[in-house]
Amino acid sequence: MTTSTLATDPLATSTRNELSCQSLELRYGSRTVVDGLDLTLPGGAVTAIVGPNACGKSTLLRGLTRLLDPAAGTVTLDGSDVHRMPARTLAKRLGLLPQQPVTPEAITVESLVRLGRYPHQRMLSPWSATDQAAVEEALTRTGTAELRDQPVDRLSGGQRQRAWIALTLAQDTELLLLDEPTTFLDLRHQLEVLDLVAELNEEAGRTVVMVLHDLGQAARYADHLVVLHEGRLAAAGPPAEVLDAALVEAVFQVPCQVIPDPETGTPLVVPRGRARR
Amino acid sequence: MTALPLPAVRPLGERARRRRRTLLLCAAALAALVALTSLGLASGQVSMAPGTALRALLGLGDPGDVLVVQQFRAPRVLAALIAGAALAVSGSLLQRLFRNPLASPDVVGVTGGASFGAVLLLATGASQLLTPLAALGGGLVAALALGAFAWRGRVAVGRLVLVGLAVQAGLAAAVNLMIVRFPAELASSALQWTTGSLYGSTWPGVWAGGGAVAVALAAAALQGRRLSVLDLGDESAAALGLTPARARLHLLLLTIALASLAAALSGPVGFVALAVPHLVRFLAGPPTPGTLALTALAGAALLLGADLIVLHLLPVHGLPVGAMTATLGAPWLLILMIRQGRPVDRSTS
Repeated sequence: MTTSTLATDPLATSTRNELSCQSLELRYGSRTVVDGLDLTLPGGAVTAIVGPNACGKSTLLRGLTRLLDPAAGTVTLDGSDVHRMPARTLAKRLGLLPQQPVTPEAITVESLVRLGRYPHQRMLSPWSATDQAAVEEALTRTGTAELRDQPVDRLSGGQRQRAWIALTLAQDTELLLLDEPTTFLDLRHQLEVLDLVAELNEEAGRTVVMVLHDLGQAARYADHLVVLHEGRLAAAGPPAEVLDAALVEAVFQVPCQVIPDPETGTPLVVPRGRARR
Repeated sequence: MTALPLPAVRPLGERARRRRRTLLLCAAALAALVALTSLGLASGQVSMAPGTALRALLGLGDPGDVLVVQQFRAPRVLAALIAGAALAVSGSLLQRLFRNPLASPDVVGVTGGASFGAVLLLATGASQLLTPLAALGGGLVAALALGAFAWRGRVAVGRLVLVGLAVQAGLAAAVNLMIVRFPAELASSALQWTTGSLYGSTWPGVWAGGGAVAVALAAAALQGRRLSVLDLGDESAAALGLTPARARLHLLLLTIALASLAAALSGPVGFVALAVPHLVRFLAGPPTPGTLALTALAGAALLLGADLIVLHLLPVHGLPVGAMTATLGAPWLLILMIRQGRPVDRSTS
């Protein structure tokens, strides 16, 4: 296994692919989930959004794309309002992997990944060499090329997740938003997906924003950490600067120590408490 | 993760194999269509060889044959083909949109609404050319009623089917009531509007309905990519630049148009829209733009085949084709209902 140590690298100060929100308020009906959020997600970096259940992580991701219209405030991508952009224009710049995507019955990996080209195609345009090249690259990068003829619904959880990531890669967007990409996977497959994310960022220069649950993984793999608490921003910044015992206790109500990860030196959260002997 | 180099030549992939299979099935369906059409044109009280019948269709040969084929048989055969194709495609779209194998325009009341509209027009004595329009209006009204009753923030398919059955039953009753009060000279069309039948097929009806169906089928063919993207669920579809609600509305309108236009030609013929998509899925696998063409061809062949059985093979005369499709389709629906007890039709992950 390769270990990526990105965590404390200084961020590239590129202005491209910078997603940010200003006084963003997101609601479901009358329930306010995200309340007055000001946030800038650095371009070119891997950002992890963490926080307790129901703190608004996924909702924020939905609001940052066009899946949920803001009740107030704006979301901008390099300065232009995301919610006023034509859907296809945005889809060429920003890809999203939902938490629980719907896999059509019996669809093969290749057919699934080809759908990622949708925003680049016009109604009657034939399948182009560019389309094919993007699909092949996505399959190769995610290691799903040899699975191309397999039905997606028969794959293991890890393979399936990689097939779905391949779809968002074929979309060929500079920004990639992943909603809990590791949630239903075992440890090995979690690391596989996270390593893939690190590769995409390092080699392909993609900006990645992902919602994660594991704070240690977030600290290892992210350049930038966003901690949400009850719909508000609790902290944001490089994990080494942001993640400390006081924050974790305040946000998660878990007394803990934060020690350096013996492998990577990034912050590692160790809860206090009893253990069975 | 290892990046494997791509082999220079790889064996025919699954996608290509499925496509070839679909093409072969399309060719088979087309052949069946041609055979059934020749049979339909050639057989009847005045029998002739299929070749003679096809020549007569073009106006060549014995004037008597030409008259029989052009005036009596051709409109009916064409009406069956057009209505069959429209019904099958309509059912296929609806089942995909609702992710439910029970969704079908005749189950959810659209067909009933279209018949109601057509009968209402007939009662006013207006031109037959307007029948497709009236059917379309009726279908839309039924769909609106359905939406109003079934909508609870989102469409629950179970409720949709139940409300749809109620709408369908109510509209069928309304059609019956109106037909009872028809003047005697219109009573003969009662059969078409209560059970679905092709006895009343005329050239003006075929031209008007056929033209509109051709336009709607072409529009459906252009929706293939959108449909595939919608299959990924609303979130992924939106992330790919589709506006799911709008796309679904367009497709629903198309579905209603196809089912209503079919009803204008043949009345409320049941089960074709329900059964053909299943048959196609069984033979060709999951839906692709190619299987939509197969669905149209298979629907056309099936309805024409059923009509030929009704006309020539059964000892009873004057049986409506809708009775035939219902006889074949009702057991099918029951099997589906039983199998649906097991939740296998939707995989989420």
